[in-house]
Amino acid sequence: MSKLNPLVFALGIPVVVIIILLVLVVPKMGGGGKFGNLTPFSVEAYRKDWATLQGNAYRLDCQVEQQLAFVEGRGRILAVKPTDASRGAGRIPIFVPLTAGDSFEVGQRFKCKLRVAHDLLVVEGLERF
Amino acid sequence: MRNLILSSFGWCALAVLGFAQAPPPAAGVSGGGGGDYKSSTAEGGADRIFNVNSDSVDMESGTMQWKGTTMNLGNSRAVRARFERYLAAPTDNGDMKRYIETMDRIQYLLSPQVINQENYYRNQQEAFNLLFKAAEFDIDANNCLTIASQVRKIWTMKSEFTQIAISKNELETIRKHQEGIIVNRADRMEEVNDERASNQGKGKSLTKGSTGATELAYKVKDEARTQVEILAKNTEMTALGLKSKIEFQSQMVSFLMSRRFRHSLITSSFYRVLFKGGSQNIVVGAKEVKEFFPISDFVPTLESFDTLSREAIKDVTKGMQTVDDMVKQGELYGAFERLQETYFLGEFEPLVMSYPQDKKRDMLELWRDLRELQRLGDEHDLANVEGYVNKVRGRARDFPGAPILSKVNNAINASNMSLLSAKQAVLVGDTTKAETALERATKIWPQNPAIKEFANQVVSRQDKLAQLVPDFDRMVTEAKWRDIYNKKLEFALALAQDKPRSDKLRQIINRVGELDGNIQKASVLASQGNPYLAWDVIVETYKTESDDLVLAKTRSDIAPLIANYAQLIGMAEKLEKDGAEAAALTAWLAAQDLNPASPTCGAAVKRLARSVAESAVVKSTVTTPAPPAAAAAGDDIPLPPAAK
Repeated sequence: MSKLNPLVFALGIPVVVIIILLVLVVPKMGGGGKFGNLTPFSVEAYRKDWATLQGNAYRLDCQVEQQLAFVEGRGRILAVKPTDASRGAGRIPIFVPLTAGDSFEVGQRFKCKLRVAHDLLVVEGLERF
Repeated sequence: MRNLILSSFGWCALAVLGFAQAPPPAAGVSGGGGGDYKSSTAEGGADRIFNVNSDSVDMESGTMQWKGTTMNLGNSRAVRARFERYLAAPTDNGDMKRYIETMDRIQYLLSPQVINQENYYRNQQEAFNLLFKAAEFDIDANNCLTIASQVRKIWTMKSEFTQIAISKNELETIRKHQEGIIVNRADRMEEVNDERASNQGKGKSLTKGSTGATELAYKVKDEARTQVEILAKNTEMTALGLKSKIEFQSQMVSFLMSRRFRHSLITSSFYRVLFKGGSQNIVVGAKEVKEFFPISDFVPTLESFDTLSREAIKDVTKGMQTVDDMVKQGELYGAFERLQETYFLGEFEPLVMSYPQDKKRDMLELWRDLRELQRLGDEHDLANVEGYVNKVRGRARDFPGAPILSKVNNAINASNMSLLSAKQAVLVGDTTKAETALERATKIWPQNPAIKEFANQVVSRQDKLAQLVPDFDRMVTEAKWRDIYNKKLEFALALAQDKPRSDKLRQIINRVGELDGNIQKASVLASQGNPYLAWDVIVETYKTESDDLVLAKTRSDIAPLIANYAQLIGMAEKLEKDGAEAAALTAWLAAQDLNPASPTCGAAVKRLARSVAESAVVKSTVTTPAPPAAAAAGDDIPLPPAAK
């Protein structure tokens, strides 16, 4: 036992810890959290031809930029900016029905489940992060 | 005001008319002793020249007033022509000095201080002979021959008179002889009668009743006839004397009134010598001579004729001296005036007739310029008056042109002011006032070039009106606002009286003006590095003025600078039009990202966001019903086509 080089222990233990962490954290990060099973929403695709996305549900990680409109009893239109600009940058409007039952502040970040209803991006679920 | 202008102009015309002539100043002539020969003022000169009331030459009636008496010069045209002919004609040939000496010699031979009993006939004969010498001069025009024939006639009459006197004496002798016979016969008859009466008383018988009565009767008849013949001779002598006197006096008056003063003097001298004292009273021309001497109870005499003639000769001499003096001093206009008045008084005086031709030519040139100036004044040709006044001034530095130019300038100003008034009246549509003002302007200065220009403008305006109204209507129909705007001044003038079209024009001008303002604003914004805001302005304006070429050009100039922004807005508008409001809102947001300050984007975003929010539930309900919560995690999501 005593023949083992202490250097092995010194290097092996951190490596093991890192491996354990990677096993535990990375799947969680790459999966997108609550809506990790949904396809990320492509702003570019939506802008280019929203009609092809009709009826689909997507995941969108975004940050609230501005509340554009609020209709009592119905919901609000928020201008949000995707946190991942690789699929298109710039603000897009999303509709958050009252049923979502949350409060929104400018700068808050959310993971959303969006459904393309006609041309409207309707939030069907969301999660703050 | 109008009267003032017209009267001023009338004065001007009169002035021009008047300066062409020159009357003899009354003081200068009547004084006869070196009076002021100059006109008192320029106005005076203008008024006097043809003024029949002045003591001057009256060209209109062809008369000349001198010392309050009118002399007939002939008709006016002939008078002017005669003076012009005098100026143009060559000077009469001949030795004037010798001619004057001859005439003076004749007068001298017959003058009272020279003629006496001894030389009575000799001087008469010498003077008579000199008349033929004087008649040889052209300047005399053979008037001395007329005097000579008159003198010869008197001499013949005198001879006849002598013959009659002789006959009368012879008849008287015969008559006395006849009277003696009659007396003798009558005495004889009485003796016979006495003898018969004594015989009857003595008882003697009568032998004869009457003796010589018949012869006596014939003798008485002869004597009576002789007496009648004597009376007839007396009457003949009286008539002959009266006739010769009247004829001679008539000739004398004729010479005086025709202004041949030297001939009048010579005729007078001969008369004085030829007729005895009892015939020296004036029978012919007394009335005319009295007019020269406005004195009550004035008795004209031969000396009155002489006085008038000598005074006229002196005036003419003085006048010609003045003319010469003024010419030497360069005062040609004054010299011209003096020559004219001197000419009409002493037209046949040797001094006038012998005036040098070169000087007369200068006067003739001046006379022609003055007449042209007069014509210009008569025709109200004001534009050329100044030129002629200066021309006359060039010839005669003493020509009083300043008052004429002043009046002309006043008239020109008055004409222009009336024309301006006419223009203003035309612009406001007051035709009556315009006509009146134009008539006034034309009356003052018929050849005013501005009147012609104005007339052309009016005609042109009428033509344009006829053409512009349909043009305007067509452009409005074709919505060519920019074209209308570019011709706004022409249309404004043409449509001034057409209120509906005028209002329409005003609207178009305001519209294009606002459009130009927006284009200007966009251009400024673009030049300041803010093409997106410029585009907003263009887009907003384009909604209402899509046909404007200037706007289109500005739009095309700015478009390359904001290609993506324009594309986004275009897409947004199209999406909204197609009913995709959310997609349109997305495009507007993208555009707003590029141009955050854009009011257009802001308004569109706000409007669409509201609209989308209101209709979102319906859309989401209808098209994408909310999935059950339990199935949310297990949605079967197809891959979006965009994720390629």
